[in-house]
Amino acid sequence: MSLHHPPTRRYRPPAPLGGRRRAAGGRPLRNAKAAAFLAPALIILGLFVIWPMLSALRLSFTDASGFGREEWIGLENYIEVFTDPDILNAVGNTLLYTVLFTPTAVAAALGLALLLNSPHMPFRSFFRTALFIPFVISFAVAAFAWSYLIDPQVGLLNYWLRGAGIELGNVLEDPTLAMPAVAFVAVWKLFGFYFVIFLAGLQDIPSSLYEAARVDGARAWSRFRHITLPLLSNTMAFVLVFAMIAALQAFDQIYVMTGGGPYGNTQTVVMEIYESGFRKLDVGFASALSYVLLIATLLLSLVQFVFFGRREKELS
Amino acid sequence: MTRMRTLLGAGAAALTLIGAGCSGGGDDGGPVELTFWHGYTEADGDVLEEIVDDFNASQNDITISTEVKTWDSIDDTLLTALSAGEGPNIVAMPAERLPVYASKGAFAPLDDFYADESSNTANLNPNAVAMEEIDGEKYGVPSGFVPLAVYYNTALFEEAGIGEFPRTWDEWVQAAEQLTVDEDGDGTPEQYGIALPDHATVANGLWPSLFYGNGGGIVEDGEAVVDSQENAETLEFWRSAIVGDRISPTGLDGIGSDELFSGGKAAMTVGGPWMASIATENDIDYAIAPLPAGPAEQAASAIGISMATTVDSSDAELAAAEEFFAFFLNEENSVKWSLGSGWPPLRTDIPAEAVAENPVVASLTEMSDLGRPLLPGVVNSVDVLTAVDELTQKAIAGEDVDTLLGEAQTEIQDALDD
Amino acid sequence: MSALATSRRRLRDITPGTVIATLALVVVSAVVLLPIAIIVFTAFKPVAEVNAFPPSLLPGTWTLDNLQQITSELPFFRLIANSFVFAGGVTACALVFDSLAAYALARIDFTGRRFLLITIIATLMIPFQATLIPLYQLVSDLGWVNTYAALIVPRAADAFGIFFLRQFFLSLPRDLDAAARMDGASEFRVFRSVVLPNAMPALLTLGLFTFVNNWNDLLWPLVFTTDSEMGTITSGLTLLTGPGGIVPHGVMMAGSLIAILPLVIAFLFVQRRFIENIATTGLK
Repeated sequence: MSLHHPPTRRYRPPAPLGGRRRAAGGRPLRNAKAAAFLAPALIILGLFVIWPMLSALRLSFTDASGFGREEWIGLENYIEVFTDPDILNAVGNTLLYTVLFTPTAVAAALGLALLLNSPHMPFRSFFRTALFIPFVISFAVAAFAWSYLIDPQVGLLNYWLRGAGIELGNVLEDPTLAMPAVAFVAVWKLFGFYFVIFLAGLQDIPSSLYEAARVDGARAWSRFRHITLPLLSNTMAFVLVFAMIAALQAFDQIYVMTGGGPYGNTQTVVMEIYESGFRKLDVGFASALSYVLLIATLLLSLVQFVFFGRREKELS
Repeated sequence: MTRMRTLLGAGAAALTLIGAGCSGGGDDGGPVELTFWHGYTEADGDVLEEIVDDFNASQNDITISTEVKTWDSIDDTLLTALSAGEGPNIVAMPAERLPVYASKGAFAPLDDFYADESSNTANLNPNAVAMEEIDGEKYGVPSGFVPLAVYYNTALFEEAGIGEFPRTWDEWVQAAEQLTVDEDGDGTPEQYGIALPDHATVANGLWPSLFYGNGGGIVEDGEAVVDSQENAETLEFWRSAIVGDRISPTGLDGIGSDELFSGGKAAMTVGGPWMASIATENDIDYAIAPLPAGPAEQAASAIGISMATTVDSSDAELAAAEEFFAFFLNEENSVKWSLGSGWPPLRTDIPAEAVAENPVVASLTEMSDLGRPLLPGVVNSVDVLTAVDELTQKAIAGEDVDTLLGEAQTEIQDALDD
Repeated sequence: MSALATSRRRLRDITPGTVIATLALVVVSAVVLLPIAIIVFTAFKPVAEVNAFPPSLLPGTWTLDNLQQITSELPFFRLIANSFVFAGGVTACALVFDSLAAYALARIDFTGRRFLLITIIATLMIPFQATLIPLYQLVSDLGWVNTYAALIVPRAADAFGIFFLRQFFLSLPRDLDAAARMDGASEFRVFRSVVLPNAMPALLTLGLFTFVNNWNDLLWPLVFTTDSEMGTITSGLTLLTGPGGIVPHGVMMAGSLIAILPLVIAFLFVQRRFIENIATTGLK
């Protein structure tokens, strides 16, 4: 399986977004064909994703509670998003979480994929399976199990580490440790999926390239730097962007493990969205905050795609 | 936009045809059917189910069907249901959650119901009813109201030679010190005198109780009153007991406290009637005592559950729901509900002897007078409770109490002004 | 390759680097599997041991009480069946619709392709909680609340899946379909007989991803099914929350075990194809 495009193939690798290619038939015919292929998915997405999104956009300019009457209040909700200190705190936390989660998860996935791509590794199949297993566990169960393991009173992990002279303390109530802890649980749960995608990407790099490099006397680091990384750049862009989207929407395990505490230190933007909508019944505000998050995510993703797109051009 | 809407409308219509056949009937004059959402999942749920069945059997015009959810998921699902005009006819929820729904117009006012003599509301505990009021109008009927109390491990008390349960804060802390055991002297006790949460769940009721005990409070007549000398003293007193004398671990939430107690690692915990069943389940011999009196008075914040009727109901359905409330609150069912749920009776005219067969209920009934409503009429209770959480948690962690109280005052006032 | 050949090769390949790497992998795997182990073993612990100190991984006495309590408290066969219908239905639909759409986006040069692609990706960037209310209104207008349709249809196509498959289809060599086209094959035939068969690893990955995510989804079934008979095992587990919001660890772990067991079995069942396929055959 592959999400990148080795240059050994005859066709030109497309840019991560878009990319042009000629197909049989004139434009009207191609448009008609495309419409036929796209219709089922677009009807579903249009009706059940895009339409609700547009409704939410409309609600973001109102004081809607989700039921009853609602009044148009212009940009008031958006102004509040940018001035409410709680929201600014949540934005800071979300960025911290993203910075903790994304590189760690991606690096762990890539590192383990490199190790387990080597045919010389014993028990390769076992390790691959073991590393993927957390992905099938739900966030709620994962959060529950980890909380139990690091419980300051009866936590097994705390107990073992104490035996080794490390005092973990009450991690989830510690203002500095709580965020790394919830980010760690997300890394644990999600890295297996990125790992599999990297494995697939690595598999598509022709071994002839490495052999040639070995003949030229290139060392391991140099081979990684000049062959693996460039040829993985599309896979990397894909994984990074989706890991980042997952990070910016962090909610599930935090809701279970800390509820946003201690004193708001793990409160994320989506926690605020949930709380404003489903606890304070301020659906208009929750919608506005969601759109700000959407725009921010879109911009950050475009930056990454452009960065990887340019690198790829430089390399080819 | 308009074109998009038409297009989507057409798509939706087509899908309706596919998915048709599952829609319900309308008001066609048959018996009124009511849906009732609640979060009573334990023994209390079984008793409630019995009362509902009895009600259905008692007449031929109304049939109630219940849907059991957790209290949390009632919040998650009620809003979406209301948004589609499909809310349940009756919904039960934690009482401090009622004002926000009522203020947004989700619930039907019940003043006329309360005024009706046959509603059986005349003798309801007024503090319980206070939690149903927003801007002078009542929107709910209490289904539970119980003051927080101390649940203590009698075996550990005997071991420590404490015969009588403490009556004042000083005695309370002293007893807790006696019950705190640090055998290996490493500074981390193996057994704590008490588990006092500093945030979330029960802590939301515990700290207001402690504030009341010294004559302070959080919100009075719609104004924040948290920044007071009394509250500063309260926080200093308990910080010194928790951190200085190590009578309780820090950083606990209510659930953590309950677990410590049920694991036999804390001799006392503050909680509600559920602690009785948890203690039994964990083979812990326990007794219940009222929260000891503070320097100013003896008071305990109460936990309340409210039942309300949503505006998604027709007039006939509202009338039917009120009929059920009256049935639920009649003398026989009040006793039955109290005995079965383990919560004290909501009616003050039911004597403790009537519920004597359940000792938990009997002891809780005796302390009913101490119960104070939690944040009655406060719409944005979420932010108020968050501010109090932050206050208590940071105070226990050692930050300056006066600064914290000042910050909490501002945040709570902002939440009230929202 | 045969086991014998493998082990012979392994012996030859053992180097200090391999030994260190293997040890590192053992440690990582142990950390990764520890929460799974705690779920499995706690499920069989009696109440007294669950909150005991010092804690231990293995139960001192094994008990089936926790599992029994679940079967008595939840209609759990029904819930598991619902989970299969929900997650399976979504996965089956999404694979078909996503792959069709992805094919167009990857292989047909049509007007507005770039715009459409960006729009599809953008839909992933709004949190699900934000669109839940308008979506519920729509589903309710359709009369679908408490039906399988409400659970499945809104997710019958998925933006992530479309993008994921599009990336994969882009990488498939075009000489294959050129040959088919020469023989006069229609666009759909190229999709069906050339592209899809070559995309099995990607479809398997996406299928697993979709199935797992829907199986584990909590809020979705909770919101769209108010009738407890229509819930899934994941949403049903919330009902195990005890009085005072206390979650009994033993019972919850037993519930979690029941909830994840079908997934783990399903995964182990396909894992040979899944992990090995991806890794050893890659793309032809």
